[in-house]
Amino acid sequence: MSTMTLYVDKKSFIHHVAPLTKLLYVMVSIAITYIIPKLEFVLFVTLTSLLILAIGKVFRKILPILALSILLIISIIIVQGFFHPENQTVLYSIGFITFYKEGLTFAALLTLRVLNMIMSFGILILTTKHDELVEDLIKKGMSPKIGYVLLSVLQLIPQMRATMGKITDAQRSRGMETEGNLLVRVKAFFPLIVPVVLNSLHNTRERAIALEVRGFNTKMKKTFLNLSKEYQYTKTIQSILWAILIVTIAWRILS
Amino acid sequence: MNTIQVNNLHFSYTPGSSVLNGIDLELDQQTTAIVGQNGAGKSTFVKLLKGLLYPTKGEILFKGKNTRDYTAASLAKDIGLVFQNPNDQIFKNNVISEVMFGPLNIGQDDQEARHNAISALKKVQLDDKLDTNPYDLSLSERKMISIASILAMNTNIVIFDEPTMGQDFAGKEKLKEIIWDLRDQGKLIICILHDMDFAAEVFERTIVFNQGNVLADGPSREVFKQKNILQQAHLEQPSITQIANELGLDGNYLTDEELIQALKEKMTS
Repeated sequence: MSTMTLYVDKKSFIHHVAPLTKLLYVMVSIAITYIIPKLEFVLFVTLTSLLILAIGKVFRKILPILALSILLIISIIIVQGFFHPENQTVLYSIGFITFYKEGLTFAALLTLRVLNMIMSFGILILTTKHDELVEDLIKKGMSPKIGYVLLSVLQLIPQMRATMGKITDAQRSRGMETEGNLLVRVKAFFPLIVPVVLNSLHNTRERAIALEVRGFNTKMKKTFLNLSKEYQYTKTIQSILWAILIVTIAWRILS
Repeated sequence: MNTIQVNNLHFSYTPGSSVLNGIDLELDQQTTAIVGQNGAGKSTFVKLLKGLLYPTKGEILFKGKNTRDYTAASLAKDIGLVFQNPNDQIFKNNVISEVMFGPLNIGQDDQEARHNAISALKKVQLDDKLDTNPYDLSLSERKMISIASILAMNTNIVIFDEPTMGQDFAGKEKLKEIIWDLRDQGKLIICILHDMDFAAEVFERTIVFNQGNVLADGPSREVFKQKNILQQAHLEQPSITQIANELGLDGNYLTDEELIQALKEKMTS
């Protein structure tokens, strides 16, 4: 059975931090890498995110996502290394290719920002159950409709993958080859995609009706099924994060 | 001979949590019902028979050949499997081409496929709806289309995964006839069921699955007699058998005809 979320169920300190605190961490850690565009500082923030992932025991899970971003990173390094407008100091050249110090520094800064972005989102997604996060956001005043849309989007892909598996089985048992050369795969496309699309349209309608039957659109004030979990150090961590944000802004204005 | 030999079959989706633990079975000409609680491993078992999954340990031999050496698509000529949910397979915009899809895939020519499709649709009594869009029909009719689309492939082995689900009395009667008809053609029928009455009435052999093991296997009459074993698998006896027990009748009864006959004899004597 395929898992329905990216959430990794482990016991760690990070798993016990409130979802909103983690969301705040994502925003702050991304913001400060732009507020203070210093290589050393951004490196420090990135390493912090890395450390938090390691504490949350989900470092291994982020690797495939980081690997996907390698392509982006390589293109950043090449483009900036060659063509950054402030390029002056030649660092080294291989044949006719010349790398400049300014460009590479800037590329390193961008790369670290990207890595930090991915990892801080990783902290949020890999260590938080997404329904918990959405419920917390709704409690803070977000519209339940937006919450529903967020949750559906997060569930859409795993759900489609599960339906796809069933449909592939059904068509294979009617003698349709799904593996092989390009022609075989092209032929297999319609028998697979038509039921997937029809099923998801059908499910969406059913789900909308099921929600409405249970009073989703009611104007009454809603209560919540799940008790708010007690999280550790929520106030402390959040205050520290806000403080960091304010300090960096102050530093930027003053310097 | 359409025999399937299952030797020491083990299977797990994720290492550590095994779904089937060591199943030994020989499936031959008898119509066979597989019953068991949800999660007992019935659907997984038939998917393995069909080559959609491969054993983690042990082997399945069909006519002496290991299923591991074949893809599900290449086994489709010999083994047909009707899935629970017809919506997972229907993609054509009329009934006839949906039913012809399987036959064409396994190499029947256009004429032959059309002929087989129409005769399969006759059996499920949908041959007056050849050009209807399947999604304009009801779920139970779509289920019949998915059955017809396997029947049209004319396989020697036909496996049904819960065909009675969502069918009314007339639908079940239709199914009964289809199964008997297939049996008379010398085909091997295997059927996953939750409806004990249907299993008792229609099938010669019943296999009880429980937590990935075969708990009982034998002629339906013998299997449904064993109340304790059925209870252990969280199943109940067919309602006719239960009524006979309540009435304190000797012997064991599987169909209403048998029970009525016995009661009549009792009243006249």
